[in-house]
Amino acid sequence: METERTVQELVLPMGANVGQFESRLNFHRKLAAIVLLVFAVSFFLPFFFARENRISAEIPGRISALALLPTLLLLLPPTMILLYALMRNSRRSEWLLSFAGALGLLAPLAVLAYVGPQVVSTLGPFARYSPGSGMYLYVTAVAIVYLMKARIRIGDYIGLAVALAVVLALGYQGSFDRLGILLEARNFGTRLSREITAHIRITGISIGISVLVGIPLALVTFQSRRMRKLVFPLLNVLQTIPGIALFGLLIAPLAALSQAFPQLREWGIKGIGNTPAIIALSMYAIYPIIRYSFTAISSIDASVVLAAQGMGMSSGQVWRIVRLPLATPGILHGVRVALVQTIGNATLAKLIGGDGLGVLVFEGLGQASVDMVLLGMLLIIALTVAADRIFQILITVLTPVSLRREGV
Amino acid sequence: MTTGPVRPTLEETPSFLKAEHISVRYGETVALNDVTLHIPTNRVTVLIGPSGCGKSTTLRCINALVKTSSGHIDYGDASIQAMSETDLRRNMGYAIQSVGLMPHMTVEENVDLVPRLLGWKRAERAERVSRLLKLVRLDPQVYRNKYPHELSGGEAQRVGVARALGADPPVLLMDEPFGAVDPLTREQLQDEFIRIQRQLKKTVVFVTHDIDEAVRLADYLIIMKDGMIVQADTPEQILAAPANEFVERFLGPDRSLKRLSLFTADHCCLERVVSGTGKPSETQLPKGSNRCYWQVDADGKPIMGYTWIHNRIIERPITSSTHTVQPYSSMKECMSAILGLGMPATAVVDDDGRLYGEVRFETIQTISLS
Repeated sequence: METERTVQELVLPMGANVGQFESRLNFHRKLAAIVLLVFAVSFFLPFFFARENRISAEIPGRISALALLPTLLLLLPPTMILLYALMRNSRRSEWLLSFAGALGLLAPLAVLAYVGPQVVSTLGPFARYSPGSGMYLYVTAVAIVYLMKARIRIGDYIGLAVALAVVLALGYQGSFDRLGILLEARNFGTRLSREITAHIRITGISIGISVLVGIPLALVTFQSRRMRKLVFPLLNVLQTIPGIALFGLLIAPLAALSQAFPQLREWGIKGIGNTPAIIALSMYAIYPIIRYSFTAISSIDASVVLAAQGMGMSSGQVWRIVRLPLATPGILHGVRVALVQTIGNATLAKLIGGDGLGVLVFEGLGQASVDMVLLGMLLIIALTVAADRIFQILITVLTPVSLRREGV
Repeated sequence: MTTGPVRPTLEETPSFLKAEHISVRYGETVALNDVTLHIPTNRVTVLIGPSGCGKSTTLRCINALVKTSSGHIDYGDASIQAMSETDLRRNMGYAIQSVGLMPHMTVEENVDLVPRLLGWKRAERAERVSRLLKLVRLDPQVYRNKYPHELSGGEAQRVGVARALGADPPVLLMDEPFGAVDPLTREQLQDEFIRIQRQLKKTVVFVTHDIDEAVRLADYLIIMKDGMIVQADTPEQILAAPANEFVERFLGPDRSLKRLSLFTADHCCLERVVSGTGKPSETQLPKGSNRCYWQVDADGKPIMGYTWIHNRIIERPITSSTHTVQPYSSMKECMSAILGLGMPATAVVDDDGRLYGEVRFETIQTISLS
C-alpha cells in the first residue's frame, strides 16, 4: 500500500494522535487509499469493448485511447479522493466525498456518450460497444466512496438526480444508441416487456403456491412431532436435487398426466411450458418458507407461551394472540428469501419451454451475444433488488412496533 | 426418615382448593408421588424444596398445565378435571419467574389480557388496569404505554403480578415470581407483595427455592423433596421443630435466627424502660446485668445506654440507627442491635426516634426456646 504510507506520513506523524476521532480518521484514510488503488487498477483495464457488428470479436478500448477531456473528467474523482485523504476531517472534506461521488457517476456516462459516435465513425454503421471491466471497477470505486460517507446527505441525492438527468438527456439525444444492451433491448421491442411480465407472473404464482402450502404446513409441522420427522427430511432431499434436473424430472409425469386427461391441457397443464416450471419453483420456494416459519414459531420465548396458557388462552387464542404476531417477521423473512431465490431460479423456466427473462439469457447464450445475456441478467438483478426492497418495507410495516428495534 | 403424605395442620382455616393423593408420572420418572394438600383460603401457602422436588409441578397441576396421573384436585365443590381448562385458569392468576410478558403488547395490553379474554367492558378494563398498576406502585401515566423491553427486571415482575391479578381471581399461583431479580429488588418486591396480600387477602400458592423468602412470606410452609411433602406447617412450627434431618439441613444452620425474624418486637418482647435526661446515679440504674438505663435528650431520643457488668457501670453511646430498633422490627434485627450496641438490651424507638421501650436479650432467649 504505497499510497497509504505516503498519506499517513504526510498528515499523521507517528504516534501523534491516539484518540477515537483520530482512529476514525485513520480508518478513512485507509479506505481512501483502497479507493485510489481501485481507481488506479481500473485505468489499466479495458474501459469499454467495441465490435464491428453483433457477433464479431471484441476490440478492447483503454483510457489512453480517449481524448484529453474525457480522460481529465475520469481523473477528477480520484484526485478529489486524494485531496480528501490529505485533508483534516471536517465538513468540507465530507463535501469533497459528495463531489467525488457525483462526478464519479457522471464521468463514465460522459465517456460512454463520447465513445458512441467515435465507434461508429471508426468501425462502421453496425458497430456497437459495451462497458468493459475497467468501467465496472471504476464504478465499484465510486460505490466505495459513497460507503465512506458518514451519512448520505441531500447533496448526494442531488448528485444522483443530476447523474440520472444526464443519462436521460444523453439517452434522449441518442448518445447511447450504439450501446450493445440497448440495441438488444430495442430488438426485442414489445417482447421484452412481455418476458418481464411473464417472469414476474411465474415468480408470483410460484411464491403464492408455496406460501399457501408452506405456512400452514409449517404450523402443522410445529404441532406434530411425527410431521416433523416426515417433512424436514423430505425437504432436505428436495433441496439437493439440482434445479435443472427437477425441471426435467417433471416433464414426464406431467406429459403423461395431460395425455391421460386432455381437459388438463386446456388449463395449460402439460409436460413443457410454464406449468412444470411453476411446480418446480414452488417446490424450491417452499423450503425457505417452511424453515423460516418453523424457526420463527419455535424461537418464541417459551415463558411467553406458558404465561399465555396459564392465563387461560385456548390453543387457538395462543396462536392468534401470541404465536402468529410474534412469528410474523420471521415468516415474512422466509417469504422474502424464497422470493429472491425464485426470481433467480425462474430464469431456468426457459429450459423447459417456459417464458420469462430466461429467454434472453439462454437465447443470448445460443447466439453468443454477450449483450443479450447481460440485458437479461441486469433485468433479473433489477427485479430481485426491487422485490427485496418492497418486501423489506412490507416486513417493517407488518412487524409489531415493539419488535422493530431488533432490526429487520 | 419419615416421608409420605403429611396431613396439613392449620385445620381451623377452611380450604376450597384441595389436592387429594395426586401423582404425576412421565413414563418411568415420578414427578409427584401421592401428594395431599389443602390450600388454606386467603392465606399464603409456600411450596419450597430443592430443584426437581415437584414444587412447580404441584403448582402446574393446580391450573391444569400438568395433568395428574392419579388423584384429583378439587376447586370448590368440583374436581378441576371436570372443569374447562381455560375457565379454570382465568380464575387463577398466574405469575412466573421469567414473567413471560407478551413482547408485542404494551404494559396495559398485558395487564388487560385476562379481563379481555373474559369479555369485560372496555371502560371497566381501562379502570382496572389503572388500579392494578397503582397497586403494584407503577404510575399508570408513565407505564401504561410502555413495552416490556423498556422495563427493568423489577418493573417487569410488578407488571407480571398486576397481570396475574388482572381479573381479580380468588387464587393466585406464583412460580418463583421474584427469582430473576437482584436481591435488593427482590426484597422490595416481597415487601410489596406482603402489603398487597394484606390488602387483597388472596389464596396464594407461592413456589420458591429461597428459604428466607419462604419464611418471610408464608402463612403455611410446605417442604417438598423427591415429589413428596416432607413437612407442612406454619413456618414458626417448622423452624422450631423440623420433622427430620433433611428439613433441618434445608432450613440451614441459622434456623433459630430465621425463626427470630418471624416475631416482631412489639409482638412479644417490648418492655418498659428506665430512663432520664441525665447520667444515672447508682440507685437509678436497675439492678442486675440484664437491664439498662437509657439517657435521652430534650426530644426524648436515646443518646446513651448504661448497665451493670461485673459490678461496674458500663456506658455505651447510641450513634447509629442500627443501635436501636422500632416496634415492628423483627427479633432478628433486635438481636443484631443488641450485639452492635454491646448491651444486654436495645432501645426501641418510635417513628420519630423517641424512646418507646426496650428489648432484652434475656427475653429473646426465652422466646426462642419456646
